[in-house]
This record gives sequence, structure tokens and C-alpha cells, in this order.
Amino acid sequence: MSIQPPPVAAEAPYAIDVADLGVQYDLRFNRKTTVRQSIANLVTRKPPPRFWALRHVDLRLVRGESLAVIGPNGAGKSTLLQVLAGIMRPTEGRVDVRGKISGLLGLGAAFDAELSGIENILLGGAFLGVEDARIRELLPSIVDFADLGQFIDAPIKTYSSGMRARLGFSIATSVDPDILLLDEVLATGDASFREKSKARVIELVRSAKAVVLVTHDMAWVKEYCNRAILLEKGRLVSEGSPADVVEMHLEHAAAAAAAREAAKLAGGLDPRVEDDRRRERRERRRRRRMEMVED
Amino acid sequence: MSRTDALAFRPASGRPTSLGLLREAISEISSRRRLIRYLVQGEMKKRGSDTVLGNIWWILDPVLQMLVYLVLVTILGRGRFPDYPLFIFAAILPWKWFSAVISDASTTVVRQERLIKQIAFPKIVLPVATTSAGVVGFVAGMVPLFALLLLHPDRFNPILLVIWLPLIAIVQYVFTLGAAILVSAANVFFRDLGNALGHGLRLWWFLSPGLYSLAWMDELSIVKENPIIRTLAGFNPFAVLFESYRSVIYGSPLGETGPIPPDPLPLVVLLLGSIVFVALAIVFFKRLEPNFAKVL
Repeated sequence: MSIQPPPVAAEAPYAIDVADLGVQYDLRFNRKTTVRQSIANLVTRKPPPRFWALRHVDLRLVRGESLAVIGPNGAGKSTLLQVLAGIMRPTEGRVDVRGKISGLLGLGAAFDAELSGIENILLGGAFLGVEDARIRELLPSIVDFADLGQFIDAPIKTYSSGMRARLGFSIATSVDPDILLLDEVLATGDASFREKSKARVIELVRSAKAVVLVTHDMAWVKEYCNRAILLEKGRLVSEGSPADVVEMHLEHAAAAAAAREAAKLAGGLDPRVEDDRRRERRERRRRRRMEMVED
Repeated sequence: MSRTDALAFRPASGRPTSLGLLREAISEISSRRRLIRYLVQGEMKKRGSDTVLGNIWWILDPVLQMLVYLVLVTILGRGRFPDYPLFIFAAILPWKWFSAVISDASTTVVRQERLIKQIAFPKIVLPVATTSAGVVGFVAGMVPLFALLLLHPDRFNPILLVIWLPLIAIVQYVFTLGAAILVSAANVFFRDLGNALGHGLRLWWFLSPGLYSLAWMDELSIVKENPIIRTLAGFNPFAVLFESYRSVIYGSPLGETGPIPPDPLPLVVLLLGSIVFVALAIVFFKRLEPNFAKVL
């Protein structure tokens, strides 16, 4: 589909230019691959199972824009953010990012759970590639914004997930990014921190930074984003004003829920139901793993 | 900021040259020295922090291992070297460094799964930090080594030690770095590697002249009949390292004389070979790196 240039695009320099982006997963190598399987695959010459997490995505973002990425689970939202952040390399198409990127994908700033909050800020700065002098300069304001009290000197493993998210948000937004990527972070923290973080995102957008946000908070999308895209099954389905895109997403979600409900009545044979169950199982496994890592 | 340039443009296709990858990795390592230092410090802080004796284990570990081998060899009646505790300690110390680094390296990338999926950073710093953290354990092992040397004053040659130990350790560091980089990347794709590694390392230890010396092998009948075994044994990097360490810590291969400078030629050859090995390992790592986030 063709992308409408945003109203300011003619003059403003773009921050992100994505053309015909595709990301393919090769399911031959997953976390459970063993040598035995690999040899078996080689011998049987089975074509490797492949899966497009994203395909044919075109996107352009200029400074001062706040883009919401919405869509059902497994639509490729997080993959898009990972590609923009440079964590993942596109399989096809190209991604042109102009400016310093800071991102908070997933939750929390637990760079090393054994270390204290302060130590994690320094370590996080080193991971993000911020110069040490700069991060030490920013340290007081990061600590201040996270507002963790005496916990800032305690090991991160003693933090609640909300506290981790606060620290992570504080680090990611303090390092003076040109482009800020946020994944589901607004839903965490208590009410007062959510207010504070909203204010900070708006402030960043005002100072002509670009923000890309993945969220399920539709109220936030409509109120504070000036554009939204809807991803479904790795395709860009709709792009436009937040209100329209949110409406479309909700319609699609309702239709999918109705179809699932009908399938359940028919005996649960609908593949989407199976898909959902599989996803749930995967999610549960992932969470268990994460708990194990944190232990 | 340094990150801006690296991230500015990311095409999908285009296979970077090996030389380009190597250059990229070297600039990544040098620009992220601070990160490497933090990772090493974090590693130090964790190690031994949840045991009763804490960091004392760094000193106790090689000593206990030496005692185990001492008992083993005494039972087998094979201890034909004078001052045998010192003889094997000269090999146990460097081997503990190597084997600890390699088993840590097998999980160094895998452990950081969450971070790798959340932020873009050069993953090559992880095995580099693991290898560097191992140096601390090696240095801590100097304490029991010197205690042992004080019990054998006739074998204590401080000048030789001060000159040669760091040089031999540098050669070992380079070789270990290559192996650590290789293992850390391979384990992302083949988790079985971690299982096989422990056994492989143990076999390697017994095939290396740690409990014995190369000169002692010459007397074995199997070696007399098949001289090729002796030649192959000499190609083992740890044959070169152990014999060099032992030469400056203990003395001649059969123990008749005190410490002497090691033969420099095998060390130079090993150093040059290890530098090539590190370069190849880096290219291997960098080729796999873009897939880490997808596979983990």
C-alpha cells in the first residue's frame, strides 16, 4: 500500500525511513536446536521452515512525530522495534535511521540483577554506548526521575517489576535520544509515574524528537500520538490518524474474537484458536525462563 | 555519538568482507573498553559472593585440585618427579584459568539473552570480558604458588618468574581469547556444546603434559613404538604452555635442575598462531552475530 507522507514531511528531515522491510525467521535454528537435529535436517534435506515476522513494510517518520504501532499479539510490532533499534538485521528491504536511538524494549533496566540501581545506570550507559562522563553527568537526574528512594543503592534483584520499569524508562529517556523507541512501558508503574512518563514523552516529541511506541493503551495512542500504524501478521494493514487506526484495530479485534468464539462452539478446531493456545504456552515458557534467569 | 554512525544505514543484503568484520570488531572492542571493564567488575563481584569463604576459594581451588592429583598419582605410583606438588601446580594454575574461561564463555552470550533482544550493542565484548575476568583468578593463584615456592627455596628464581610468567601468560591469553570467542558464538546455535565441553576439556587436560612432561613420554613403550604420538603431543598448545610455565616455575622436564628460561621458539610460534586463531574466531563470531537476537 502507498504511504501518505505526513503533513510536515516536505520540509522536515526524516528520522526513520523504512522501505519494503522484511524480516524472516529461520525456524531451523531455534533455542532447542541440537547437533542431532541439524544433522537430521541435513540428511533429510527438508526445506528449513521459514516464517516472515514482517514483510513489505514501508514507513517514514520525521522529527517531531510520535508514531504508535498497534496490532494483535504476534503481529510483528516488537520485531519492527528491534529492527529500528539495530538489534535485528532486515532480511530484505532497507532501514535508514538518522539520529541517535535510545530504546527500551521489553521491561526494566536489569542490566545486571546483582548490581545496585546506580551501578546499573552506569552499566546501562555503557551498553547503550553513552560516554561515561556523560552518563555520570546525567546520573543525578536519572536517579531523581526514577524516584526509587533508598532502593537505588540496593541490588536490582530486590526490585519489583514496576521499579525496574521506572529505572529503565528513566535511563532510556535521559540519554538525550533523537529517536526514542518504547515497547509497552507506559502500562507499568503506578498512576503518578505514568503521568510523569507521559509528560516526558510529550516533552521529547515537542523538542522535535521522534518517538515510536508499541502499546495496547488505546487512550494514550489517541491522545498523544500524531500517527498510528496497524500491523497484522507482519503486514502493514493501515496507516493514518490515530483515531481511525485505533477504530480499525478494535473492529478487527472484535471480529477475531467473534470468530474464535464461534470456533470454540464448533469444537475448537479453528486454527486461530490453536495459534492462540500455542502462543500462550510459549509465553508461559518464556516467563518461566525469565524467572529462572532472574533467580 | 559513536552509535549514530554505525546505525545510520542498514541494508538487508550485502555480505561484509572478513577483513571489514575484523576491523569492525577491533573498533568495537576498543570503543567499548568501559563496558568490558564494568562486565569484568560485575563478574568479580558475583564470583564467590554467595559462598561462606567468598574469594578465598580463588586461592583454595587450585590447591585442593593439586592435592587431588597428588593423591591420585601417589596411588598409581607414578610420581617419578622430585618436588611433585610444585611440578603439577605449575600446570594446574594455567589450566584452571583456561578451563574456567572456556566454560564461562559457553554461556556468556546465551546468558545475556534478554539484553541482546532489548538493546543493540557489540556482542563481541562478552567473550572478551569473560577472558579478561579469568586473568584475576590466575593472578590470585600466584598467592599459593609463592607459598609453595617458599617451601622449595632451591627452585625459587624470582627474576626468572617476573620476566617470563607475564610473557607466557600473554601467549595463553591470546590463545584463550580465540577459543572463548569461538565457543561463545557456537553455543548460541548448538546448546549441546555446553554438555560436551566439560568432557572435552578433561580429555584435553590429560592429553596435555600437566601431570607428566613431554620428556617423560619418551620412555613410554607406546611412544617408542609410535614416535608420531610424541610429535603430535608437541603440537598441543598446552604442551608448549605447560612446558614453558614449568621451566620457569619448577625446572627441567625431569626435575634434575632448578628453573631455567623456556625455549622461546615454540612460544613465538604459538603466539603467532594464536593471533591468526583470534582473527578467524572474530570473523566466525561476527558472521553469526546478526542472528543472535533471532535465535536466542
